[in-house]
Amino acid sequence: VSNGYLFVQEQTLRFLPLFHILISGKGLIMTKSAQLAPTLLSQMDEEIDTRKINNSFLRDHNYATEADIISTVEFNPTGELLATGDKGGRVVVFQREQESKNQPHRRGEYNVYSTFQSHEPEFDYLKSLEIEEKINKIRWLPQQNAAYFLLSTNDKTVKLWKISERDKRPEGYNLKDEEGRIRDPATITALRVPVLQPMDLMVEATPRRVFSNAHTYHINSISVSNDYETYMSTDDLRINLWNLEITNQSFNIVDIKPANMEELTEVITAAEFHPNQCNTFIYSSSKGSIRLCDMRASALCDNHSKFFEEPEDPSNRSFFSEIISSISDVKFSHSGRYLMTRDYLTVKVWDLNMESKPLETYQVHDYLRSKLCSLYENDCIFDKFECVWNGSDSVIMTGSYNNFFRMFDRNTKRDVTLEASRENSKPRAILKPRKVCVGGKRRKDEISVDSLDFSKKILHTAWHPSENIIAVAATNNLYIFQDKVN
Amino acid sequence: MEFKVEAHRIMSISLGKIYNSRVQRGGIKLHKNLLVSLVLRSARQVYLSDYYGGICLSAQQAREWCEGEYMASKQGKLVPGSTESLSESDEQSEVAVDKQETRDVVESPAGLHVETQASGEQDSAENGVSDSGCSDIKNPEESPEATQTCEVASVVTAISSNCISAHSPSDPKEETETPTDCQTDNSESAEKHSYEPKAPQAYTNRKRTADDSELTDSPTKRTKLTSTSLPSTNDENKGETEEMDTSNVSSLITIFGSSFSGLLSNKEGEQSDSEAEDSDSGQICCDQMLKNLNPWSTAIVAF
Repeated sequence: VSNGYLFVQEQTLRFLPLFHILISGKGLIMTKSAQLAPTLLSQMDEEIDTRKINNSFLRDHNYATEADIISTVEFNPTGELLATGDKGGRVVVFQREQESKNQPHRRGEYNVYSTFQSHEPEFDYLKSLEIEEKINKIRWLPQQNAAYFLLSTNDKTVKLWKISERDKRPEGYNLKDEEGRIRDPATITALRVPVLQPMDLMVEATPRRVFSNAHTYHINSISVSNDYETYMSTDDLRINLWNLEITNQSFNIVDIKPANMEELTEVITAAEFHPNQCNTFIYSSSKGSIRLCDMRASALCDNHSKFFEEPEDPSNRSFFSEIISSISDVKFSHSGRYLMTRDYLTVKVWDLNMESKPLETYQVHDYLRSKLCSLYENDCIFDKFECVWNGSDSVIMTGSYNNFFRMFDRNTKRDVTLEASRENSKPRAILKPRKVCVGGKRRKDEISVDSLDFSKKILHTAWHPSENIIAVAATNNLYIFQDKVN
Repeated sequence: MEFKVEAHRIMSISLGKIYNSRVQRGGIKLHKNLLVSLVLRSARQVYLSDYYGGICLSAQQAREWCEGEYMASKQGKLVPGSTESLSESDEQSEVAVDKQETRDVVESPAGLHVETQASGEQDSAENGVSDSGCSDIKNPEESPEATQTCEVASVVTAISSNCISAHSPSDPKEETETPTDCQTDNSESAEKHSYEPKAPQAYTNRKRTADDSELTDSPTKRTKLTSTSLPSTNDENKGETEEMDTSNVSSLITIFGSSFSGLLSNKEGEQSDSEAEDSDSGQICCDQMLKNLNPWSTAIVAF
């Protein structure tokens, strides 16, 4: 029996922190902006109140700190690589160390593999708008040769990056010397054939495609199709389909912009291609509904094939009902049979064959329901939490506040709350389950709702495609945990 | 009535968020502003839900408010109102005076607002506030910035600053609480006041940028070339939206003017006779305004 199913074991959850962000000896290509990269390490002790950061008078002072806030985390299809994007437009790629036979008990750790500046801040002069360089999403392409490819996007532009290794270089040119200076032809007396000599490993990232000028509104998702030739980019009102080879043209496949913008009632919040069927995709809306579209039906998929929506519970109606029903993330299961949605307070698993209501609903932090007004005031109610499946679709995970993240086992119906913090993450230490106390009496290890730190939020998490290794982004820190192996 | 207080507060917070979204990096976020406008609309609905049950200002007074004729004429009406619990009203008025004196010229129409509210009813608390507000009323008319957009600002500040202070408490417990509410609310709204004068321009400007952003869309739905052609002149649209702005602004003033008095008007029988006929005309006035107001709310997101 595999040890992949954490909750099958007697103990609730035994995760070990494997947190290392090291500048590995593999060498990095440092671009000119990468001098901010060391702050990844040094800022870990800073308390960041992300709510204050938007005030312009604070911006310059906190810019270096804000730039390190991780905005997306994604494993590649094999799990060998882990990419993070941050608000400063940088992408950091970690690679898992090969497991060594000498130390079989020591699983591979993730070390920095490549760092590059993916997006720069831009200014749209026509609209007098600044375009943020924050990386909204990273999606890996399946590996087809020795190089790795990923798509990264900010609010307006998608870029395809090639990450490749170079460990040889040609030496022995005739016309130029080792430093590249042109040799005086008079000094050349013999000809030689240049040969490839080994060199220190260098990892380079080069932008291979830039897909721009196709989105009026802010891009919130990208998703690669199963055909590995096309991908879609989604903004608030439109979804465009691209061919990975063609950058000056895209097809618009969904457009929900009303003729009169004053009639606007909902926006698209996320979209994803089906993992196995290249013709199917889903998109979620701010009204809490999910639409499944089939591209075979028509070129323009404004009419959905399936419409998933749960009727609202009238007893829970409040000023903020619309906000908390807005879906912040939608993910197909690996099998393609289910889809999962995250709204502000819950995670729901839907069966693709049942549109009327979700299969399962999990409360992430229902104790916040009575605090919605304060959360509206401090903008926390607009936080967009993501959700992920594990490799076998048996466990789902999502983040919360106070650096807590939650896991729900769909089979045993058990759930656990864990915390990603430095105090609790000594190497090899097992993560202790946390509990939020709702009612009156607070037990010793519990934390009361009022002492939760709402500036410490876990919005982005990722789960290794086949193993029980998770990556959790807590503001500007990345935590990597794996389950204990006996 | 507590939910109306809450509704007021949420409305002012929402407007503050919409304004702040202008100065955030990365441009205005459509999704967040849509959600904020939905909250604003819900709060407004709750706030106005009791409207037809209450007694509203006469249409005559509403027109006077729109034209900006001030309270020198109405001061006479205020005095007979203040009878009981003058001590409490003094306390409130002190608070209100302190806050109002520190505000700048643009915000003093808030005092004006209190005037209109108070004139329709007899609760002493409001009268206390409105007495103090009298003195500031002359200023906005002389202010060079007293344009229509400025009136919207004043309406906005009125919402945020006076909702609590002008709120008519129904029992003594609430009366004692409202001074503190008034203080906290005014203090937090004082921060917003520094933004408010720019807010209406923000709305108008944002509508224009909304059109601009729409204009860059390619008309074809199938294939979108990256080199999208420059937008065809949508000047007609711009003209329409600008027209809609000004008409909505004036209707907004009216609706808030009449709605405030409607909120605060006492349901006592004493005044019901004199105001019964007023309510009819006021209702008609408000019907029209409420219909017009919806586009305004959605216009917030129409960028």
